[in-house]
Amino acid sequence: MTSPADSFIQEATDILEGLEAILLELEAEPESAASVDAVFRALHTLKGSGAMFGFDALARFTHHFENAYDQIREGRARVTPELIQLSLASRDHIERMIDAGPGAGDDPASAVLVAEIEKLSGEAEPAAASAPVTPKTTQRFTIRLVPDALALRNGTRLDLLLDELCELGDAVVTCHADRVPRLGEMDPTVCHLWWTIELDTSKGRDAIDEVFIFASDCVIEIEESTPDATCEPVPAEIGSQMDAPARVEAAKTPDAKTAAPKPDSVRVQSQRLDELMDQLGELVIAQARLNRIAGDLDDVALAGTAEEIGNLVSGLRDSILSIRMLPIEPVFTKFRRVVRDLSTELGKDVALSTRGGETEVDKNVIDSLTEPLVHIIRNSIDHGIELPEARRQAGKPEQARVDLRARQSGGKVLISITDDGAGLDAEAIRARAIERGLITPEVEMSEEQLFGLIFEPGFSTAKTLSSVSGRGVGMDAVRRVIEDLRGSVDVRSQRGVGTEVTLCLPLTLAIIDGLLVKVGTESFVIPLSSVEECVELPPDDDVRASGRSILHIRNELVPFLSLDRLFGFERLHSDDRRVVITSVDGRRTGLVVDEVIGQHQTVIKPLSIYHRGIEGLAGSTILGDGSVALILDAAAIVKRAQSALKVAA
Amino acid sequence: MTKETAMAETTDAAMALTFSLDGETFAIPVEHVSEIIDPLPVTRAPNADPFAPGLINVRGAIAPFVDLRHRLGMGPAAIKDQSRVLVLDLAVAGEATKVAMLADNVDDITETAMADIEPVPELGIRWPTDLIRGVVKKNGALVILLDVGAAFAPTHAH
Repeated sequence: MTSPADSFIQEATDILEGLEAILLELEAEPESAASVDAVFRALHTLKGSGAMFGFDALARFTHHFENAYDQIREGRARVTPELIQLSLASRDHIERMIDAGPGAGDDPASAVLVAEIEKLSGEAEPAAASAPVTPKTTQRFTIRLVPDALALRNGTRLDLLLDELCELGDAVVTCHADRVPRLGEMDPTVCHLWWTIELDTSKGRDAIDEVFIFASDCVIEIEESTPDATCEPVPAEIGSQMDAPARVEAAKTPDAKTAAPKPDSVRVQSQRLDELMDQLGELVIAQARLNRIAGDLDDVALAGTAEEIGNLVSGLRDSILSIRMLPIEPVFTKFRRVVRDLSTELGKDVALSTRGGETEVDKNVIDSLTEPLVHIIRNSIDHGIELPEARRQAGKPEQARVDLRARQSGGKVLISITDDGAGLDAEAIRARAIERGLITPEVEMSEEQLFGLIFEPGFSTAKTLSSVSGRGVGMDAVRRVIEDLRGSVDVRSQRGVGTEVTLCLPLTLAIIDGLLVKVGTESFVIPLSSVEECVELPPDDDVRASGRSILHIRNELVPFLSLDRLFGFERLHSDDRRVVITSVDGRRTGLVVDEVIGQHQTVIKPLSIYHRGIEGLAGSTILGDGSVALILDAAAIVKRAQSALKVAA
Repeated sequence: MTKETAMAETTDAAMALTFSLDGETFAIPVEHVSEIIDPLPVTRAPNADPFAPGLINVRGAIAPFVDLRHRLGMGPAAIKDQSRVLVLDLAVAGEATKVAMLADNVDDITETAMADIEPVPELGIRWPTDLIRGVVKKNGALVILLDVGAAFAPTHAH
């Protein structure tokens, strides 16, 4: 299913992502040689592997881009803001060329960008020529190139390697055929040849290493000697040379910053992880069934084995979940570009700072997060942050700040986007909501409730439409995506000081720990993350249930509500009912159930379109006995009950 | 996997599964029928629309359980020996959905040629006509061809 071109696209996408980050770093620190090297290396890799996989137009374009950075590396050109701007544009162009697929022709936009690149580096050249650039002395290198027997089958283009070496300077290439077997024994797909190259170059050792960057299946020895020394070290024995220590890899490592980070990792299609997750879900269900059978049979040996399997399954669950957990940093990095481009476009000076990028979140959550975050950040910059002039008048620093912060709190991940802009205007929101028919003029609302209105469909307070926001389709989409992820959005704002939007998201989407309870004859699962404790329901409290239902728990008053009444179920007359105390937004509420069965690991299956709209249900799951149980959304149930109380009062 | 709900797609001689509800015979195109199973316990969904009162476990997959009788204005059914659950593959509001429904009896698979389908008579039919595509006479009895899209829509206007 994965073709070589696909893996190139994947690799190139990663490189481009990294490239953007490096370019932005370079913009902040134009003198950083390490960053220039990193840009050059990224471009060189793109060019090389692009050509290898048929992205010829891309390789040709990248070549010019790479040249510009080569000149900077050699001190013949300098990093300027224009160059960074152009580099970012070129990076985006390369991205489009990758989307166009292999074999695509030259894009007309390429020529425009190439002309600009050449203009920039061309202007720099005459100045550089007169400048006293430290002249590099010519060195002589003796290079032994011994390809792996399977190098040709692996697609290594030895001819291209040799051509590239020859371009570096004066080269004498000697091909050694001493290992070629007799014709009858020869396998033509195996490489029997090896080479020695005498190279006089001023480009230095690094340039040679660059040539061999992809030649991982060749043994390469590079020896440096003075140009005059006429040495001809042709070793007689090849076999011993195969393990020669002077491999290119070893030579590359010293500079940890520029060497592409290659952690010891395996690339896996996320679809395969999803399959793994599905199978784990089935396993968890089967294990629940086994537990139940073991309980019914009351066999000690079986119960012991079932428990052991239970432990293994929960260990496996944790491992698989941890594979799916990714740091949120790459998402954050994307926003540096968004903020940069947007603030330039709107004429605002905005600095983005990020914190907690190492916070790990389920891959599926991360994938869905980018879009809502883009909306929120665009809103912050477009509507929240004032123009420099207005900021100066308000006594604020001209450069505005947007903080992106992630942190983990219990089973939740909190992501907050804070700006130091003008803050939300509660009165303007109110007026707008009335105009849009979202509320009626006589409705009294707290500031907090008014802020919540910005997430209503069709709400937008922008006086002018800009290209980035103000169409009123942003924030309601944000809320929808976050709620689909079983999360919530919260806005806090102070007039003139700034706005903070906080997204509260679950760590993972697929499996939760829940408390299995019975209401009437039906089983329900309450997510353990919202459960604090379970207490008995005193009979007299139960009787007074017609009025306000309040429990005394350790000198604290906790309101409670009956799930059977809320669900419209017939009342069972059991005398040992329990109250599950939940905590939602720091407020405790009791939910009366008929029976608490116990803790239960649950695979969440989404509800169908017929039941998705029912408030208070988060999903469904299959229990050990094969029956279906619904998963409750404690927060929604409590909210619903509260609003019902308000209506009644 | 995804199948067209639109009945207009059905070819001239379409195969349809006939089943009975309250003594009436209904038909549904066979391409929507995934399997026919014995009745299973239904989990009630609290505060659900009476048309989709619960969920059942169809061999490891959770399917909404719909009550076509309610939409057709019939009283609730008792489960009898002949009762069967039809598991249907539908595209509900653009989503491929497995839906389960109870039938009093599953009769047969019959061929319904387009030419044989008669329009719904204005009078003499006691359920909403928008749920029905037409009627066919089979061995002298009336078979009511359901409009799958309307009959299983999550909400019904009438």
